[in-house]
Amino acid sequence: MEIPTIYLMAITYASELTLLSIGFTLTYLTAKIPNFAHGTYAGIGIYVAYTFAKFWHISPYYGYPVAFILGGLVSVIVYKVVIGTLSKMGSGSIVLTIATLAIQIFLGALVNIYAYSFVAFYGQYASGFLLREWDFEFLGIAGIFWVAIGLSVVIVLILHYLLTKTKLGISMRATAEDTELASVLGINIQNVQIFSWFLTGGLACLAGAMIPMWFMSSPTTGSAIITSIMAGSLLGGFDSVYGAIIGGFTIGFSEIMFTLWGQQLLGPWFGEYRPLIPMIFLITILLIEPRGLQGFYERIKSRRSTTTAMKVKKEETDK
Amino acid sequence: MIGNIALGLLSAFPAEIAGTNRLIVDIAMFFGLLLIVAMALNFQYGNAGIPNMGCAVQVIIGAFSVSAIVVRLDFWIASMAGVKLDDWNDPFKWIYSNPNNVIATNEFFKNNALLSMGILLLSIGIALVFGALIGYLLALPAIRLRATYLMIVLITMADASQIIGRNVTWISGGTLGVFIPDVFAWYPGDRGVITAVVTLFLGLVSFMVFRTMLNSPYGRLMRSLRENEVTVGSVGKNVVGIRRNILMFASGVTAIAGVMNVYYLGFSNEGNYQRAYWTYWPWLMLILGGPGNNAGTFLGAAVVIALRRIIIVYKFEISQFFFFPISYLEDILLGGLLVIVMIFRPNGLIPEKLLYIPGVNYSKMVKEEVKVDWRAAPKAREKKAPKGKEGKQ
Repeated sequence: MEIPTIYLMAITYASELTLLSIGFTLTYLTAKIPNFAHGTYAGIGIYVAYTFAKFWHISPYYGYPVAFILGGLVSVIVYKVVIGTLSKMGSGSIVLTIATLAIQIFLGALVNIYAYSFVAFYGQYASGFLLREWDFEFLGIAGIFWVAIGLSVVIVLILHYLLTKTKLGISMRATAEDTELASVLGINIQNVQIFSWFLTGGLACLAGAMIPMWFMSSPTTGSAIITSIMAGSLLGGFDSVYGAIIGGFTIGFSEIMFTLWGQQLLGPWFGEYRPLIPMIFLITILLIEPRGLQGFYERIKSRRSTTTAMKVKKEETDK
Repeated sequence: MIGNIALGLLSAFPAEIAGTNRLIVDIAMFFGLLLIVAMALNFQYGNAGIPNMGCAVQVIIGAFSVSAIVVRLDFWIASMAGVKLDDWNDPFKWIYSNPNNVIATNEFFKNNALLSMGILLLSIGIALVFGALIGYLLALPAIRLRATYLMIVLITMADASQIIGRNVTWISGGTLGVFIPDVFAWYPGDRGVITAVVTLFLGLVSFMVFRTMLNSPYGRLMRSLRENEVTVGSVGKNVVGIRRNILMFASGVTAIAGVMNVYYLGFSNEGNYQRAYWTYWPWLMLILGGPGNNAGTFLGAAVVIALRRIIIVYKFEISQFFFFPISYLEDILLGGLLVIVMIFRPNGLIPEKLLYIPGVNYSKMVKEEVKVDWRAAPKAREKKAPKGKEGKQ
């Protein structure tokens, strides 16, 4: 049976977006701010893959560990230099969010300069590229499909184990719940924060390194993807990692499928409006259920418990 | 300031507007524009605590209202008056015949100074209305929720409005853009100068309006909302309604900047309204100058605009030192400056001062220490209470 390429493409993109949304949600949980620079970490990952493939002529898959570590380091530097300093000064969440926007502009410019330096020094055009020829094939399907879906499943399982079974993960969750109480219990907040920022940056950069294997990439791709990430994270409820897994996958899959269906139904002009799809999702979620799937789940749970309680009461009164 | 205006008025002859004079006119123009945006932002964030990250949307609405509505109105008036225009009724001809039509309409406006001034006022009015409308719509999904949700919605809306402007050709000519009839065609001198003077005037008017509003009872209500919204709500004020009103008013005023920008360029295209330019630079002005302080915002706008315009004008000289395009250097400066100012001068160049209320010595009221020993207070009440009982008996 031949699976249409568009479905494979959508699943690949959705897996990448899942990783990005998980990272975004983790940052929101531990630092209590939406990190607008999260998409730009993906931009760094894109250029790690580019450097491996087009500059050193090695398979970009070897660049994935490098991307993970580099993204983590950048993220830790961002935390140490800016976010940590500002939160020590007692700045509110709005100031911190504006700081992440400033970091996004700064890092975006650095990525742009890095891409331009290939043109300036090596005469190599480095924006708007695809790395498909570096991919392998497995069972007649492009390797990136297997890699993306495998990596995201493995990472989700590892994260689940980390957050529920290990001491570090539990202390992370405790920090997310209540920072002061966690520090009273003897958890080193600084270390937990640094670890979570390393993890989010690394995951974002890794997801970014997977993007150019199947999707046209340029220095601005990373900054443009942030809307989809936020929509995915918001659909999950902003404060639930498991929600972010579902949310990121749904947004990524529907972004590509809706574009395709729109083009088939309404005509090719619909493709121009692809960036609007996550925005429409975002606003619809805010209007209907601002706490996303998490809030929906809790509401259903509470309704079920109240209905069962009412049933029990009714039975008692009947007796 | 006054020197700039005087120079602009005096050098009303095209021959003199070149080189440094052109730079000064340019700086004055963009200072006027971004003063409007930055003052509106100060009104929203500095005083009411609403983090409006969507200045670009509000500016774009002003620009689009001119290119989509006022230009059609101009053509209609001109054709009613007997000027022969090319057919502009379907989307293709709208763009195709636009340059010729604009030239013909400009000829018509040259002889009708009053009419063209009326159209300028009308376009400002339309921009105010549409700006307020878009402020209401933007407030709808997120104003009740956390402030960060509002930021997310507004930032994404800036991109959405650009995408819509790029693809719906009748709004702003799509990727090609449309020319705008010149409402200052009657002015004999340089039209850049008169536009800059009018914009500076509007900027100063908005400065005075915002300053007066902040000293009014409503302004004090806004500041109390910023400090603690729960308290304001418990006193019986409608917190969501106040926020929405502030956002609507400031959106309308910000849209005026879009109108003046379109008339200065004589051209409208979505590409001119990058969110980096119209949102982040005003934020830098606000944070550099000092949020919550009108004079600080004024100073911040002046410093940032001078810096930016000088970079743009001396682009060629600067670009010899760098291998990459200067626009990336600007981005690095913008991001770096924002972070540096936040860390080293969190209150900005001029920190926020106490409110000036005519007739009330507010600073004395605040600084006077109220001597109440709270541990002694219950005892004092106990002492007083028996007296009251005795009185009753």
